[in-house]
Formats: sequence, C-alpha cells, structure tokens
Amino acid sequence: MNSSKIKHSLIATALAALVAAPAYSWNEGGGEQEEALHLKPDLENGLDVYEVCSACHLPEGWGTPDGTFPALAGQHAAVMIKQLSDIRAQNRDNPTMYPFALPQSIGDAQALADVVAYIEQLPMNPEPGRGPWGPGTPEFAKGEKLYKDNCVKCHGETGMGNKDKFYPRINGQHYNYMVRQFEWIRDGRRRNANPDMVKQIAGFSDDDMKQVINYVTHVPIPADQVAPSKDWLNPDFK
Amino acid sequence: MKINSFAGAALASALALAAGGALALDGGQLYMTKTCFSCHGKDAKTPIMPNYPKLAGQNAAYAAQQMKDIKSGARANGMTAAMKGVMHLVNDEEIDAIAQWLSTQ
Repeated sequence: MNSSKIKHSLIATALAALVAAPAYSWNEGGGEQEEALHLKPDLENGLDVYEVCSACHLPEGWGTPDGTFPALAGQHAAVMIKQLSDIRAQNRDNPTMYPFALPQSIGDAQALADVVAYIEQLPMNPEPGRGPWGPGTPEFAKGEKLYKDNCVKCHGETGMGNKDKFYPRINGQHYNYMVRQFEWIRDGRRRNANPDMVKQIAGFSDDDMKQVINYVTHVPIPADQVAPSKDWLNPDFK
Repeated sequence: MKINSFAGAALASALALAAGGALALDGGQLYMTKTCFSCHGKDAKTPIMPNYPKLAGQNAAYAAQQMKDIKSGARANGMTAAMKGVMHLVNDEEIDAIAQWLSTQ
C-alpha cells in the first residue's frame, strides 16, 4: 500500500467511525449548562416546572424503589444540570425522558436552574430500593471492600459525590437504577460517562457490580436530609 | 370441522372470561399509576409530543396489541423506544384493562 492509499483508508475508517459510533463526551461544559450553573434559582418557579417531572419521579422526587425512575431528591443541583443538559443535547440516551427534558417542556436555562434547586432541597426517602444483602453477609463485605478500593476517591466515604466536579451523590439511590447505570457505564452505553470511572470499573464482573452497589444502598443518608417517614407526602403538591 | 369450531367457541368464551377478569382492574387508575398519562396526557388526548399518539377512543383490541408488541419488542419502530422503558410495569391483564378504559374515553 502506498502512502496515499494508506491515507485514504485511514480517512475512510475515521469517517466510518464517525457515522457508526455516537459521540462520547464526559463534560464539555459551556452552553446552557454553564449558564444554568450561574443563575440565581427561583424555588417557586422550580416547583411549577417540577410538576411535569413529578409525573414519573413523583411529587416527593423519590422515583420508584423498583428503580424504573431514579430518586432525585437531595441530588446535587450541578449534577442534575449536567445530566439534563446532556439529555437535551442528546449526549445521554434516555428516550423515555427525552421529551420531558426539552425546552418546550421545562423551559430555558433559568428554568433548569430553578427546577434543580427545587429538587435538591427535597427531603430524601428513608427507605430507597436497597440491594438484597444486608450487613453481616459475605456479599455485603465484598461490596464494602470493592467500594473502599474503587469508589471512595470520587464518590466519598458515604456516597456524597462531589458537586464541584459533577460527581453524583449515590447514597439513597435505588439499587436497580444504579445497577442499570453502572452496567451501561461499564459497557459503553452511557455516552456521557466519566472516562475515569469507565476505566476504574472495566474489570468488574456482574457479581462485583451488584455487590458494590448493594453496599452503597446500605450507606446511611445524613439524618437532616431524610424525610420523617417513608409515607411523607410533598406538601407543595396538596 | 365441527369439533374445531366448538374448540374455537370454547376458546372465545375462555378469552371473554379472561377479559371479564381484567375488567375488575381499574384501567383509568392504572393509566395514572403506570405513568401512561405522563406522555399521553391525563385525558389520553394531549400527548407531550406531537409524534406521540392520542389514545382516547382507540379500539381496545388494537391498543392492547400495540402495548403487548412494544413490551415484547415485536414492535420497535417509531417512538416505541420511549415507551419500552416503562412496559415492565404492566402485565397482560393490566394492559387489557388500560386498553378497555382507553376505548371508553
């Protein structure tokens, strides 16, 4: 093969890759994400905007313990701004949620800032969907070790994440939802996944994955962020 | 041939019985709790997207078959990807009840 032929075949390969593979991007920033991050939120408008979200994530923002819809209450505003912006920009595939994330459903960058501020201050579900292995079981212990060895650096000892770096809090999240997302991140289906995480969990077996997430679901949530009972109803929706 | 048509009639009554059982479920309530309304609108005729269907008044048999096909993946065209993600929330009986309710709206 002469050099021009090599060049052509390289270009062809690159073009094919562009067409075949969707773009992967962790956090380009800018755009309405950047804009929403710096706007002063209006909680009352946030409540108005949240009504459309509450159809699936429920008025309490607790999602469903079976993991169909994730818990949102208490999540860092910056994390939700990033995820919403990513879904809007089609950088995270979520066909069920996509229409609800669009500007015609939610609104502009100000509305994004408002709704996530409203969601962030909601008290959390004291009984989220937990993994099957309680403290004292070997699976719990294995998950705990995996967590300490792999996850603490970014998600923290108690799963609080890091809002300045867009790392989500994962305590209080439903087991099935986290297993699904973890698997998609590991297997390359979550296109906006952090490449450091993809690398970190590349060697995780399905059992490792379930055990580490099981551990996360048993980490206590800070008491001042939890609703008084699992039957708490959001008074804003009365 | 006669036996076959007798079997057919027996099957039809069995299906009718099954449908009767499904009617015991409250399709209108399921339509809300299983999040159908989130996309198709509380009245089943104000979908959130213009390319999502209005469902009110749809034939029950047709609506039920589409739901079952979307759930199984037999139907995977159009906007079905948006709906597939929630279809594990309903079983066949609940699908029938929702479809029945839709047909009366």
